[in-house]
Amino acid sequence: MEPNLLREITRREALQRAGGGFGWLACAALLERSGFAAGAASPHNPLAPKRPPLPARAKSVIWIFANGGPSQVDTFDYKPELQKKDGQTLEGFDPKTGFFPNSAGPLMKSPFEWAQHGGSGTWVSDLFPRLSQHVDKMSFIHSCWTGSNNHSPALFMMNTGMTRMGSPCVGSWVTYGLGSEAESLPSFVVMSDPLNRGLPKGNALNWGAGFLPSVYQGTWLRPQGEPIENLKPLASRGEGGQRAQLDLLARLNRKHLEQSPIEGELSARIQSFELAYRMQTAAPEAFDISKEPEHIRASYGLDQKHCAHFGAQCLTARRMVERGVRFVQIYSGGMENQQSWDCHSDLVGNHRGFALEADQPVAALLADLEQRGLLKDTLVIWAGEFGRTPTSQKGGKPGRDHNPHAFTAWLAGGGVKGGFHYGESDEVGYKAARDKVHVRDLHATILALLGIDHEKLTFKFQGLDQRLTGVESSHVVREIFA
Amino acid sequence: MQKILPPSASNPGARSNRRPRALAATAGLLAAIVPAVLPAAAPLPALPADHAERMTKGEATFESAVRSALKEHCLKCHGGEKVRGDFDLASRETLLKGGADGPSVVPFHPEKSRLLKMLRHEEEPFMPEKKPRLPDALIDRIAEWIEQGAPFTQPLVQGKKIERDRSSVTEDDRRWWSFQPLAAVALPDRNEVHPIDRLLASKAAEKGLSLAPRADRRTLIRRATLDLTGLPPTPEEVQRFESDPAPDAWPKLIDSLLARPGYGERWARHWMDVARYGESSGFEQDYDRTGSYHYRDFLIQALNSDMPFNRFVQWQIAGDEFAPGNAQALAATAFLSLGVFPTQITINELERVRYEDMDDMLSTTGAAFLGLTIGCARCHDHKYDPIPTRDYYRMLSTFTGTVRSEIELDVYPEQTREQKAGWKDAHERILAELGAVETSLKPGLEKFIQTGLQARFEPEDWTVWAPESVTSTGDTTFVPQADGSFLTRPGTGPKSPPRENFVFSAPAPEHVLTGIRVEALVDASLPNSGAGRGPKGGFQLSAIRVQLKEMDGALRSLSLASAEADFEQDKDKFSVASALHGKPGTGWAVGGREKSPHAAAFTLESPLAPQPGAQLIVTLEFQTADKQSIGRPRLALSSDAAPRWNTQLLEARLGSLLRSGAAPQTASEHSLFERWWRARDPKWRAVEARRVESEKNQPTGLSKVLVASESYPPVRYHTAGGNVETYKETFVLKRGNVALKEEPAAPGFLQVLSRAPEASWSWTPPEGATYAGRRRALASWILDEKQGAGALAARVFVNRLWLHHFGQGIVRTANDFGKTGTPPSQPELLDWLAGELLRSGGSVKAMHRLIMSSEAYQQAALKESSKETADPGNELFMRRLPRRLEGEAIRDSMLAVSGRLDPTLYGPPVREEGGGRRSVYLRVKRSQLLNTMVSFDQPEPLASQGFRPTTTVAPQALILMNNQHVRACAQAFAERVGKHCGKNAPARDLLQRAYAAAIGRPPSPDEIEAGSAFLESQSAGATGPAGVPTEALADFCQVLFETNEFAYLP
Repeated sequence: MEPNLLREITRREALQRAGGGFGWLACAALLERSGFAAGAASPHNPLAPKRPPLPARAKSVIWIFANGGPSQVDTFDYKPELQKKDGQTLEGFDPKTGFFPNSAGPLMKSPFEWAQHGGSGTWVSDLFPRLSQHVDKMSFIHSCWTGSNNHSPALFMMNTGMTRMGSPCVGSWVTYGLGSEAESLPSFVVMSDPLNRGLPKGNALNWGAGFLPSVYQGTWLRPQGEPIENLKPLASRGEGGQRAQLDLLARLNRKHLEQSPIEGELSARIQSFELAYRMQTAAPEAFDISKEPEHIRASYGLDQKHCAHFGAQCLTARRMVERGVRFVQIYSGGMENQQSWDCHSDLVGNHRGFALEADQPVAALLADLEQRGLLKDTLVIWAGEFGRTPTSQKGGKPGRDHNPHAFTAWLAGGGVKGGFHYGESDEVGYKAARDKVHVRDLHATILALLGIDHEKLTFKFQGLDQRLTGVESSHVVREIFA
Repeated sequence: MQKILPPSASNPGARSNRRPRALAATAGLLAAIVPAVLPAAAPLPALPADHAERMTKGEATFESAVRSALKEHCLKCHGGEKVRGDFDLASRETLLKGGADGPSVVPFHPEKSRLLKMLRHEEEPFMPEKKPRLPDALIDRIAEWIEQGAPFTQPLVQGKKIERDRSSVTEDDRRWWSFQPLAAVALPDRNEVHPIDRLLASKAAEKGLSLAPRADRRTLIRRATLDLTGLPPTPEEVQRFESDPAPDAWPKLIDSLLARPGYGERWARHWMDVARYGESSGFEQDYDRTGSYHYRDFLIQALNSDMPFNRFVQWQIAGDEFAPGNAQALAATAFLSLGVFPTQITINELERVRYEDMDDMLSTTGAAFLGLTIGCARCHDHKYDPIPTRDYYRMLSTFTGTVRSEIELDVYPEQTREQKAGWKDAHERILAELGAVETSLKPGLEKFIQTGLQARFEPEDWTVWAPESVTSTGDTTFVPQADGSFLTRPGTGPKSPPRENFVFSAPAPEHVLTGIRVEALVDASLPNSGAGRGPKGGFQLSAIRVQLKEMDGALRSLSLASAEADFEQDKDKFSVASALHGKPGTGWAVGGREKSPHAAAFTLESPLAPQPGAQLIVTLEFQTADKQSIGRPRLALSSDAAPRWNTQLLEARLGSLLRSGAAPQTASEHSLFERWWRARDPKWRAVEARRVESEKNQPTGLSKVLVASESYPPVRYHTAGGNVETYKETFVLKRGNVALKEEPAAPGFLQVLSRAPEASWSWTPPEGATYAGRRRALASWILDEKQGAGALAARVFVNRLWLHHFGQGIVRTANDFGKTGTPPSQPELLDWLAGELLRSGGSVKAMHRLIMSSEAYQQAALKESSKETADPGNELFMRRLPRRLEGEAIRDSMLAVSGRLDPTLYGPPVREEGGGRRSVYLRVKRSQLLNTMVSFDQPEPLASQGFRPTTTVAPQALILMNNQHVRACAQAFAERVGKHCGKNAPARDLLQRAYAAAIGRPPSPDEIEAGSAFLESQSAGATGPAGVPTEALADFCQVLFETNEFAYLP
């Protein structure tokens, strides 16, 4: 870890972490000892909250991952030229841009109706009638691009900064750097499609901790049954049985601790049982959206068949950040093709369907965060792993193929400007053209919003100071900062 | 005047606006991201009009300031002794050509010259590296010189041809501590008896510290047993050791522990982290690699048999070359092929992926045996260690042709021999039984032929229908099989219709027709070796139609009344009955059992009398979904009043013989009758089923083994458009990019660790060998402690042993002995231990004995604040610090204490976490790592890991509190304690036993008091026999599992 981050662990925090009363000196020694070279170390509670080294605009993140790659030119990147050139061949188009070179067709205009919204006059297609009412909260980046035209490498890229499997994802880096404010809840949670349409390609590697300690991996909430493993107290013990067990445990452990040279570590372990005990009630409470008032539930669309599932996830996300969870990721859509935003065929049917699922819940999330005063500290991100071609993918009902060269992401809340647009794609939306933003730049920007210098958040592995943005240089898109 | 050279145009890609690689990534992590959109190469700047004048001035600047500055600050690394980053500024030509990151000097354009930014520390790497910034005035002179065209009056180095790959490693580089030969360590003259203690104590004495006293016996046996076997000692073992008066009780204990199979099981797991051991391919498909486990078993056996260190290394790198024909040695080579491997790639990615695969082999070899991050040199010379890129590719070429294969081997031939003998006995007994049954059936058949058989005899069995023609409405073709089935071959045309019907026709039978059976047989040529053409080998029969074509050509449909099948996917849309009506969107399907043969019987509404001259037409329709045809259909007819799907099938000829009523004449007819008769007998069928089963289970001793070699066909990628996995040559790549090939790389080793010509390690395989001998040469170099890397390899290995015995290595960074690692806290001790390893002939067990017999190992874990202050990191090892056991050892300890431990050694991975097998055998599927293991810091098996960090988090506590398998252990433990203490035992006795079993000591009075009170309160309200209820005791046992004392290695 970057030494500055470590220095932020104050004496008070250390004492708290060590269970109150056991010496910081012991902790300090153990920081050294606990395994990370070059003075870096993991404190006993690796998830203890840490103050970021730079001024933070956002404290937590909700990332709506539009899985499969939504089409920028049919959602938020309005291209009048494309409307005009419908049916024409795109000069200089590389048929290998997408996944199906043999089906590459000519330019295809957006089949959706477009209108301007908000004080910013932001163009949004009619896929998002409700979300478009919130454009003045959003900063749009229209010039995003990535390194792969294939789902799993592009998903890995978006999540970990590498197209290969096995690197830590953004959520892991962030919780590694900042810890969590929610000590009775997982610090980083992931929700996937609950309608049995599959996980994003690459499954859990998309929220894996890679070479970071495994405690930083995302906690995947199981869509059915108990969302977290081992959370439910065993039925075999009677009422109060578990509390009695833990009381006895604490008594036995304290006795043992007195003589031990590693009291800091051992008392942290004692604390971990108390924390686990609280988690058993805190987590189900946090997941229980049934207690939300009816008007809130309705605003997220919980009474609507087409979006109740996604509304429930968005509402859960709000409850998470409200309780201090650092990083929440929600996947909109399942695996690929018609299971997700991956509109190889039937662009209209596909995007209408997934937009309908997400429009009301995400709009409600933004409104709800705002009315609770949470939006200023919560960075909401909406993006897929890549964009789509402005050309059609031929077929009975045409679609659009993968396009790594341009896509639009929007960020809202968390210290970004509202109604702001950064970067441009070319006149038909094929390639990022002005102020290009690579995924790494997006990552650097997210970290910067959280108060982290992407070049300083490092972890020693295989002899090197690894970082999210890798070896290439990245730039922070400061222009979107409020 | 010197001719003006334009900036090199030979390498436009390098002129992109990307910044230099400030940090090297490990090859394992550096994504080969070739950005799809690279900024177009900037046009070359035009020469200024006054360039000639400027150049003249520039020569003066060169002479007065620049030459001496370059010579003093830059030349050593860039053109003098070595050529770091491929950047050579000894001459103008090479200066302008630039290094691995492209040109950094653009003549006449200081603002475009990256060199200046590096000198001004505006851009990394800051130059001169690790030295203070040059004075501004000097940098300004260099800028001025560049603006003047950067002319040289003469090269900085005269008449010296720089031999890049040789000279880029200097004597200076070789002086790094870990690259030096082992030091001859003189043991300090001190009172301590044990050499380890003398070495440690003499250093600690400088700080005024000394060893802590020896721990008590109970602690020692618990420490040693957990450390060596990963399981706690039993109360009896503790008691025996505590009361053993022999002076050599401790060494005897260590010997006995080292002799247990559990030793290999525990220490193999340590090495599995280093070897990034997994049992699946990773990436999105993450296919199981069924043969991986033999590598794990090799490790366990190697450790248990105290395989010498040399062989341990040799077999993992080149077991096939060192011990040809030895299946164990071959299984050991999986070390190279355990890495992840994308299975679905495009043909364009093949070569890149192949280089990545070789990189994984080299990086893991480097990390595991040499503690070096060799992979860092893949794209550029190693930034910290003296590993030029060329060395990287030369070493990489060791693995040219080395591929991952799964082959069938008899790994344990002796065991196989025994199994075969046992099987033969049993099988012969079955055959005898079958013979007896067959003999007993003969009289019955004779009687049937004489009295039962008559004309128009109608067997209740199915008779194979041999249609005259089979056609498809699509372009499928049909190949008749000997068993009366038709193997389908799908059309290959681009417009093959995905949905089709099969039409069978033949003259109507000469017997009453009551039903038609449709079988879908499996075939290896079908997808997933299944029964249909669906992607998983399934099918969906949307409808069956039966028609009769009368002599006059009139077509009559025959109605079907009912249907039954051996299996149907559901009772609704996929039911067999749905095929009766052909309702759209429905049809008989077998999802979930695609790989078995299936049969369905369809009964006609009314029996059809023989129709001489008419044609029977049966149409199978597959119209519900694309590609859902049956792959190998066979039809049969019945004349039974109520045909069932599962009655016997008669060959067509037997059917007509029986129906004709004629007694069998020839031997072959007789045998047809016999086979039919037998099969009707339930007893014969039962014995025959046993025979078939036994036949199937005939032991071959063969199992799939994952290996790495040049000798076997590689595990294939799924690629569209070709499959070329191996390349004949390995090239030096510029920036790791397969598109930027330089010359072929000749096999070689790291210069910095080579003190003899490379030929001295090379080895020529015998005539006709399928292997290349290169891996053997690599292993020989790694192990050559005199002139190769052997000293380093020995240091790295003993440091791993030390790490696991003491919780931290003498070198903290067990996988990095290079400049980014931490230097040894006790260099003499490390060298002495490495020397001992070699002197003992590489006996790992001898090293355990040596280390564990030291007082340093036996110290009591005491709270000593003065030592803590003086040596907070315990680098002097004057304190014993307990540490949390790994998740594996915690689980195994619970199993052992509760009596649920299944001691079976070896074998295929175990999926069931709730079972009793040791954790080392639990399946390691990369996409489904076990929560219980990962929560306790088991690393992701993606790259070599030398050290597990220990985290303490709530999910670990939740596992111990709420996991059903933990609870099951607590319950079994309680029952075991209860049984040991007898009926109605008092709480005190139960507590005594539970403590002894779980923690290896008696409870204190306070613990007895607390425990008794707990048992009493947990028993409140229990209505059972007197005494402590098992549930209450289980609650207590679970608390013991949760205690720090249970989870920590003391």
